[in-house]
Amino acid sequence: MLRFVGRRLWSGGLTLVALVTLTFFVMRLAPGGPFSRNRKISPEVQANIQAAFHLDEPVWMQFGRFVWGVLRFDLGPSTRHRDYSVNDLIASGLPYSLTIGFWAVVVATLVGVALGIAGALRRNGVTDYVAGIVGVIGIAIPIFVIGPVMQVIFGLRLEWLPIGGWDGTWRSLVLPVIVLALPNIAYISRLTRTSMIETLRENYVRTAKAKGIGWRRVLWRHTLTGALLPVIAYLGPATAAIITGSILIETVFAVPGIGRHFVDAALNRDYPLVMGITLLYGGLLILFNIGTDVVRALLDPRIRNER
Amino acid sequence: MIGKASRVARWLAGAAMALALAAGPGMADAVLDRGIGSEWSSLDPQVNFDAAAGWILMDAYEGLVTYGPGGGVQPGQAESWDVSEDGKTYTFHLREGLKWSNGDPVTAQEFVDSVYRTLDPATVSEKGYYFYSVVKIKGAEAIANGEAKDASGLGVTAPDDRTVVIEMETPAPHLLNIMGAFQIPPLHGPSYAANGAAGFVDPAKVVTNGPYTITEVVPQSHVLLTKNPNYWDAANVKIEQVKYHVTEDVATEFKRFQAGEIDITYDVPVNQLEALKASMPDALKVTPSTETTFYSFNLTKPELQDINVRTALSLAINRELLQDKIVKGGAIPAYSFAGGFDPSYDGPMMPGFELSQPDREAKAKELMAAAGFGPDNPLKVSIVTTVAEDRIRLAQGVALMWKQVLGVQASVEPMERKAWLDAFYAGTWDVFADNLVGDFAGAETFLAYMRPSADAGYHWVKPEYDAQMDVAATMPDAASRNVELAKAEKILLDDVIFAPLAKEPLRRLVSPKVKGYVPSVTDYINSQFLTLEP
Repeated sequence: MLRFVGRRLWSGGLTLVALVTLTFFVMRLAPGGPFSRNRKISPEVQANIQAAFHLDEPVWMQFGRFVWGVLRFDLGPSTRHRDYSVNDLIASGLPYSLTIGFWAVVVATLVGVALGIAGALRRNGVTDYVAGIVGVIGIAIPIFVIGPVMQVIFGLRLEWLPIGGWDGTWRSLVLPVIVLALPNIAYISRLTRTSMIETLRENYVRTAKAKGIGWRRVLWRHTLTGALLPVIAYLGPATAAIITGSILIETVFAVPGIGRHFVDAALNRDYPLVMGITLLYGGLLILFNIGTDVVRALLDPRIRNER
Repeated sequence: MIGKASRVARWLAGAAMALALAAGPGMADAVLDRGIGSEWSSLDPQVNFDAAAGWILMDAYEGLVTYGPGGGVQPGQAESWDVSEDGKTYTFHLREGLKWSNGDPVTAQEFVDSVYRTLDPATVSEKGYYFYSVVKIKGAEAIANGEAKDASGLGVTAPDDRTVVIEMETPAPHLLNIMGAFQIPPLHGPSYAANGAAGFVDPAKVVTNGPYTITEVVPQSHVLLTKNPNYWDAANVKIEQVKYHVTEDVATEFKRFQAGEIDITYDVPVNQLEALKASMPDALKVTPSTETTFYSFNLTKPELQDINVRTALSLAINRELLQDKIVKGGAIPAYSFAGGFDPSYDGPMMPGFELSQPDREAKAKELMAAAGFGPDNPLKVSIVTTVAEDRIRLAQGVALMWKQVLGVQASVEPMERKAWLDAFYAGTWDVFADNLVGDFAGAETFLAYMRPSADAGYHWVKPEYDAQMDVAATMPDAASRNVELAKAEKILLDDVIFAPLAKEPLRRLVSPKVKGYVPSVTDYINSQFLTLEP
């Protein structure tokens, strides 16, 4: 098991290095720089600003500087947000993104699994249809449509919840969490339903039933553990995607997370901030994938022994 | 009677409960909620360059002068000032008993320190150009270039604690327009020495001298300001707290305004503008800004080196139709470059302005044919523009008019902002969707940017223009200066190196409970002059 984890960590690390290196150089290929403006400032001052951020050095030297910074956990200063370092900005934004991401995962998993089980047990019943419709809506309608619609209904018409911003209470969490969870509820419920139906047909489930075990126990102990394997496999990458993928949600609901920094940084050619967030997002994605593999390996010996 | 009273009481109780339940930000409290678009780039008063962040700084700090309702210059930390005969020396007299928010006295030297820190290369500030380019303060450029290592040669001095003297190389009547807090607040020495630049964003450490102090700073979210009791005019500051919200998404900002979470928006969704004119006529404020839009012609492209072709392209654009029916963003059609900002400036109009639009188009066809272009040999040009929705519509509208009137085949190439800036200097465009934001509401700020010596990107060779601008720069008083500037603008417009198109608007929604909001082209809206009705 240890060797399995070690192997995954090693390949994950290599992926991250490749990702970060590629991002660094691709970012430099984009036209314009952090200080290109249509203001005429004297060439000496322009040169001084470039030098202060080491932008006058050859690119390979800048890359070396970046790598050396990463090794010391110092991602450097932001070129656009002059009051903060990249570390400051990540530290300030990450808690918001994590909070929303965490609750979205919890909601998506609980609701998705519940709907999936209900659908599988009462196939073609009312619950199944409702779950199906919710699923189609969640997958088909993009966030930038469903977000504003929810804002109009719950914020403007009913006045139950704030439209946007962060007032420090659960109230500003509700809409972003629901909207972020919705497509995942859809996927998870579909996945659970299909997998449940298949598992319910398995011989060992029939045997368990035949032995006279109560249906609750059959369901929880025998069916669910097997049926949830694909859901767990989905959850790892999905969790990372939910946390890192809340860019649109953060913009629509004016949440001060790091997703918005990512887009802004790319548009403003804020190289250090782009690199910092890429490193963070890449790291999270890889870690969650490894985590999923480990959990699956624990549940299924065939996986951990594969070469 | 009793029945009515109890009904009122019930209604009040109900309203109170509704408010308590709906207690989102900005509802029934003493906080003014303002949108600022994207996040402020810096709260460091000597570094910040953005106009929206400038609002925060104008509330938190005060310069020698400030801008009243409507944007007029009025005394700030200085109660009065004298101007020397030659217009090159300004002597500002500070008010008596000025204090910082922590109770320390404000001294004249702190204004000197602020200018020096802005210019000092170690600060890595881009806005020193206000002091060596927009106005030419003695010794400023030498400090910015790193030639002078201290403030000894700087033309900003403090002979005593209440006097600030500014000496310039050339007279500049617009000096007063750039002496507000956005450009030059004083620098509180002890806190800067102790905390460095990090102190400006730390509410526990920041010390301000304006109507408000900084209470809370959350990146990507908001800045909360609270009234500063030590401000000299605190008695007339009516609003207790001001909260500046990052409102990046204009649709969300609009909904937050409707819900009462935002009292003054940063922008208005362009596609809603027509509907809002009908539904919220009192709240909607669409007024001119100091941003001008013009389409520059690439003078290195052989076809465009012919002035007849450039004139034809300019005349073929129906500017009124373009703004009213195609762009619909509230911009004002423009036929000049630097006029329309300062009412005392009487500038020239572009060639062909005197004609009616049908006559302009007829003349355009004539000029184009004379230049050798026709249906068999159409002119082909590319228009490089930014990706903003209204800018793309503008470019498409211009391309359409060129096609309909002149048979020109124009392609629109939208680019993300940084790529667009880069494309300008790379010269990879035939027509550049250009814009310029003035530093103050005067003709000079626009005309100075077009000096061939200031911007090589236009490839415009015109020594007469530089010479005429030099003449204008020697004029000590605004009236005679404007006369010389108008002559320069005539040289510029007559060469048709660009087609002026429009003055861009400020689009804003202001809640009816905010009183005292007076729009101005420079868009200085100090919260200290606003009141909030319940």
